[in-house]
Amino acid sequence: MGFLVTTLIFIVVGIIASLCARICFNRGPSANLLQLTLVITTTVCCWMMWAIVYLAQMNPLIVPILNESE
Amino acid sequence: MGERGRGCCPSMDLMRSEPMQLVQLIIPIESAHLAVSYLGDLGLIQFKDLNAEKSPFQRTYAIQIKRSGEMARKLRFFRDQMSKAGLVTGARSQVEAIANLDDLEVKLGDLEAELVEINANGDKLQRSYNELAEYKLVLQNAGKFFHSALSSAEARQREYSANQGGEESLEIPLLSEQETTADSSKQVRLGFITGLVPREKSMAFERILFRATRGNVFLRQVSVDEPVVDPVSGDKVEKNVFAVFFSGERAKNKILKICDAFGANRYSFSEDISKQSQMITEVSRRLSELKTTLDAGLVQRGNLLQTIGEHFEHWNILVRKEKAIYHTLNMLSMDVTKKCLVAEGWSPIFATKQIQDALHQATLDCNTQVEAIFQVLRTREMPPTYFRTNKFTTAFQEIVDAYGVAKYQEANPGVFTIVTFPFLFAVMFGDWGHGICLLLATLFFIVREKKLSSQKLGDITEMAFGGRYVIVLMSIFSIYTGLIYNEFFSVPFELFGPSAYVCRDATCSEASTIGLIKGRDTYPFGVDPVWHGSRSELPFLNSLKMKMSILLGVAQMNLGIILSYFNALFFKNSINTWFQFVPQMIFLNSLFGYLSLLIIVKWCTGSQADLYHVMIYMFLSPTDELGENQLFAGQKPLQMVLLLLALVSVPWMLLPKPFLLKKQHEVCNFKLSYVIFLLIIRHQGEAYAPLPDTDESLQSGTNHNGGGHGHEEFEFSEVFVHQLIHTIEFVLGAVSNTASYLRLWALSLAHSELSIVFYEKVLLLAWGYDNIFILIIGIIIFICATVGVLLVMETLSAFLHALRLHWVEFQNKFYEGDGYKFYPFSFSVLDAEEE
Repeated sequence: MGFLVTTLIFIVVGIIASLCARICFNRGPSANLLQLTLVITTTVCCWMMWAIVYLAQMNPLIVPILNESE
Repeated sequence: MGERGRGCCPSMDLMRSEPMQLVQLIIPIESAHLAVSYLGDLGLIQFKDLNAEKSPFQRTYAIQIKRSGEMARKLRFFRDQMSKAGLVTGARSQVEAIANLDDLEVKLGDLEAELVEINANGDKLQRSYNELAEYKLVLQNAGKFFHSALSSAEARQREYSANQGGEESLEIPLLSEQETTADSSKQVRLGFITGLVPREKSMAFERILFRATRGNVFLRQVSVDEPVVDPVSGDKVEKNVFAVFFSGERAKNKILKICDAFGANRYSFSEDISKQSQMITEVSRRLSELKTTLDAGLVQRGNLLQTIGEHFEHWNILVRKEKAIYHTLNMLSMDVTKKCLVAEGWSPIFATKQIQDALHQATLDCNTQVEAIFQVLRTREMPPTYFRTNKFTTAFQEIVDAYGVAKYQEANPGVFTIVTFPFLFAVMFGDWGHGICLLLATLFFIVREKKLSSQKLGDITEMAFGGRYVIVLMSIFSIYTGLIYNEFFSVPFELFGPSAYVCRDATCSEASTIGLIKGRDTYPFGVDPVWHGSRSELPFLNSLKMKMSILLGVAQMNLGIILSYFNALFFKNSINTWFQFVPQMIFLNSLFGYLSLLIIVKWCTGSQADLYHVMIYMFLSPTDELGENQLFAGQKPLQMVLLLLALVSVPWMLLPKPFLLKKQHEVCNFKLSYVIFLLIIRHQGEAYAPLPDTDESLQSGTNHNGGGHGHEEFEFSEVFVHQLIHTIEFVLGAVSNTASYLRLWALSLAHSELSIVFYEKVLLLAWGYDNIFILIIGIIIFICATVGVLLVMETLSAFLHALRLHWVEFQNKFYEGDGYKFYPFSFSVLDAEEE
């Protein structure tokens, strides 16, 4: 699974979550906007965290050196 | 002021505080009480004190407040009495509702008088009961003295007479006969006093008696086994029964005084044995009589308190409401005609209809002819800040409010805090095992929410309960980041496929010297499990977490600056957009945005370039060739452009804004003088015509002026210095705040290292001994350490650091936080405060 595929998954999950929030907690336009903002922020935060870790391991400069005992 | 800035962006709950208005209510005096009571039930208006210059005694309703204060005192007295009697105030208040306060006052007065009387009678009876009980003790014990004294005296008499009758020896002194005769004559005048003295004082008592009478006293004491209830103080005291024998009136006076000083209660005692027994029976009879009377009194008192207890909660609420209503009424000013009360207060605009309905209802219920008048006042005062929060968002809003209450209608950091606060916490607390523990603990609170919210909790539990939704989000994010870090109580799992790293050859001989090699696709989700326990784990994780901290930090700071743009847009402040937001964005991103870009490019290309070197020499010698540190083509010109932009943006932030403000102020002053000129012209034409439109234009003209300065004198040097400080703060802050985000790295590292230590040095060590007892002890220590250090202490420290990152690094980009909170007059708030 490449970077783009997983990013797409994040986007899809984010869209599904915001639709769920819209359908389950529909409380007028301004409340919906707040929920949408929260869902988007959550998705972006989670995606950033994953993307950073993924990118850092993509082209390794350091490789794991196992301990002698293992 | 309310309409200002509408429609720049769609409205969002919690983003802006509720639009408020200053309203004036003119209420006829006869319906004022009911109207205020209805408004208190509604709880959406904050009354202004219009009599601030008057002392509490000069106000209109001082007497009523005194009366309700008196009633509250009576109720407190009842509560004390009930808690002494061990009664709990029941919530059964719907027995019979007394709506009229005057009736209630009378009733409370009656009840109090009755209770006081019962108490006084009870005390009196109790006291005489205690005295009688002491008297009985004295009778019993002192009787023994006399009995033993009598028997010893008889024995001696017998001995003496035997001696006399036996031998007429010469050795018997003649004096003895005289003595005995003299004794017998004196014995008539030998007095005695009996009573009880506290045991701890008995030694001193004896000594003082001895000294005061120079030894001419005979004291006998016997300790009473059980503690005696002292009639005066009502306490249980250990006492001695004493009998003092003395001779002479002077000695008697002295002894009486000493008895008084030592709190020794005296009781008369008769020497006659037949009288003694008679008295004992008499006293016992009276004791039992008193006992039944006392019991009857107690039952009566209990019944009275029981009836009070049934109504207590209802009365208490009634009296508290009454007091609050009169306090509020005291804030209103009396109309000149003395027929109306004028109230001013803040209320949210959405509450207009509800307030009007409440006023109308009050008019109807009071049968007054005159309707209360509701009108909106125009003001230039800053309205209070009111966010409508629910049980989920309240805790987050409180996190923000703890730093400072938002200025009226300014962008609320609370919106993003709901997500970013738990997220940054989780970056420092990444371990999905610990996250699950935390989640289970909080779910307990949430499942029993209804039950727990009604009962009183301890300080720390209360705090955890109040923040339960914050902690739930924190734990959910911790589970997520724990999966990213691949740590479950510091143990990695291959949840998302096999590790990407393989041995270089079949023998795997170089695995511990040169290391493994990447043989498959990158591990799809989170940190590759192979890193755990390898020799290069720390260098890898440090590099990763440090860079991650900077990236997250730059992202959050950018969000903060963008929010300042939304603020400028909302308040239609184009100066802030162009001379604050834009240069700030450019400055931050040309330095740290560029650093983030370099980090990402380095990861993507796998370049060996030294980022420190690149960043440092970007400033020191921007024209130098980058050499092997070049990451992409055209890096050098880009760096030069960015450096130039950063340098330009500093004076851009500093200089234009004060000058523009000055110019704006001058224009505004010109407008003002123009308006005054117009006024004069019109006055000359048609006298005293109202000029609403010019008034409005005047207001909107001054409102543009940075907000709230109004007609104040424009102090250019002050504004300039302020801007200078602001600029310096931002420029230095860009560096120090970015560095401050490195705490994410430090705390996350500390957390994972600590959990590794607990797992390897406690659990695995205990496992290694192959002994069931050592294993159990190891598990217990592991659980204690995990809960105490990782789940409690680490949670606290990560919480505090996340708090700091929000308060300082995020909020200083846009948040003014100099507003004041909306405290509506509300009975529900009143109840919560009193508890």
